[in-house]
Amino acid sequence: MRARDLAVPFPAVSLDEDALTAARLMADRKLPGIVVCHGDGSPHTILPGSQVLRFVIPRYVQDDEALARVIDEQAADDMFAELAGKRVRDLLPKEEYELPVVKGEDTVMEVAALMARAHSPLVAVVEEGRLLGCVTVADLLERYLPGA
Amino acid sequence: MAVFAVVVFVAAYVLIVTERIHRVAAALGGAGIMLAAGVVGAEDAFFSEETGVDWNVVFLLLGMMIIVGVLRETGVFEYLAITAAKRAKGKPFRVMVTFVVLTAVASALLDNVTTVLLVAPVTLLVCLRLGVPPVPFLIAEVLASNIGGAATLIGDPPNIIIASRGDLSFNDFLFNMGPIVVLLLIVYLGLCRILFRRAFSYDEARVAQVMSLNEKDAIEDRVLLAKAGAVLLLVTVGFVLHSALDTEVSVIALLGAGLLVSIAGLSPKEYLGEVEWPTLVFFAGLFIMVGALIKVGIIGSLAELVTDVTGGNILLAAMLLLVVSGVLSGIVDNIPYVATMAPLVADLAEDAGNPGNVLWWALALGADLGGNATIVGASANVVVLGIAERNGYHISFLEFFKYGGIVALLTIALCVPYLWLRYFVLA
Repeated sequence: MRARDLAVPFPAVSLDEDALTAARLMADRKLPGIVVCHGDGSPHTILPGSQVLRFVIPRYVQDDEALARVIDEQAADDMFAELAGKRVRDLLPKEEYELPVVKGEDTVMEVAALMARAHSPLVAVVEEGRLLGCVTVADLLERYLPGA
Repeated sequence: MAVFAVVVFVAAYVLIVTERIHRVAAALGGAGIMLAAGVVGAEDAFFSEETGVDWNVVFLLLGMMIIVGVLRETGVFEYLAITAAKRAKGKPFRVMVTFVVLTAVASALLDNVTTVLLVAPVTLLVCLRLGVPPVPFLIAEVLASNIGGAATLIGDPPNIIIASRGDLSFNDFLFNMGPIVVLLLIVYLGLCRILFRRAFSYDEARVAQVMSLNEKDAIEDRVLLAKAGAVLLLVTVGFVLHSALDTEVSVIALLGAGLLVSIAGLSPKEYLGEVEWPTLVFFAGLFIMVGALIKVGIIGSLAELVTDVTGGNILLAAMLLLVVSGVLSGIVDNIPYVATMAPLVADLAEDAGNPGNVLWWALALGADLGGNATIVGASANVVVLGIAERNGYHISFLEFFKYGGIVALLTIALCVPYLWLRYFVLA
């Protein structure tokens, strides 16, 4: 089985899409992440939900568990409101990282290895520069654990 | 051999100061070369009290890092800081005063780096909720940690080295450094009002956001807090009594750490997570390099030279030591500086006398307070810079110097009459 056989259509957003809209899309459709594409439709990267949280939750709260406990609901809402006016490209990590993108003919094990290595809940499948779809971690586990 | 030792030492020092390679690599590399070239042997480096690694310093730091690692898990510091901010009713200057005092006191009991690591995140939270710029608060706290840390033997790593080399007790530090540090802290609080005056305008409507923080939720495990608090108290009492008990402070710290990890119920990964292994290895490398200089006679010759230059005048020597240490500690990290100077001061004290251990206090005050002058002057400064950077706030060298330089200058200037009056006029 190849990556293209597991790939399913997946919503994608552009780098300049409104960050709040992208995050809402993830929330409404219960997606673990979303594909980010260039203007020409070719996939740029995956934006996992955890990266949205990394952007929203201040670093000093991420670093200090005790502080996370003292913050009330109102303050949490204020933090998420920070997404307003930001673009998807603002949410992406600044440092270089491996893109969770595979070719259609790649094996399922190659997809699984990339997912594990990149800590990505989904991988984009590309053919001839176009986004074919995505493989999610759930699809992958279903393939290896049939009937589970 | 003496020339070779000096060349290796200076080269390693330049690498440490310029940060061309990591300071641990520079110190360890320098120590390795001294050993490989036979400047010092394994006996000199690992077993000699005079030229070897000062294991009292290394294990005191290790013990305290473990205790702090457990204490950090309790969330008590966040609880104290938020309570203080609420008591200050969110008024920025009052908040700064409470945070500065909390940091200074905590720095006297714990090491400076740990203290600022604990206070910086909660400072960012409180400042951002109040809508005031956090950078002045972070700078004010790190300056306070260097002042407060000067008060005790365990408060600042240079003090630990000085205590070990000078055979000084916890109480010696408390009685000789404590009074001047309290005075400096009072002056510093007044100075904060002027230096950071632009940081105190705020929107009163935002005070409610601070008052709504649930500080009690910071403490998740009250049993662990009780255990850690009791052990810290026991260790502090042990430090005060260590001379009477004829026990090294390092032994007390290790006993405390051992007791705490036995009763805390945490995994080694949790209680060893706060141990700064690079710092401990850095210390070991430094001690071997300085030991090599002692063995080839460089330190002894330098001490004789200083004695000649000062004409055996201890007052002049103490003042020179205070001022030169203050200036140099602003340029290089005060840990390698004191590691190098401590054996020199020991020789100087033996040659020319040392009434009331004044030379040691001059070195400690100069190094601890001089570390405030620049961002690279003390490890805690670098740590705060990093925390600010990670949270999107850049503190430039000049911005830090604008405040730190004034505070270092003023606090060191105040030490001049203190040393003169206490150890010469009123002695």
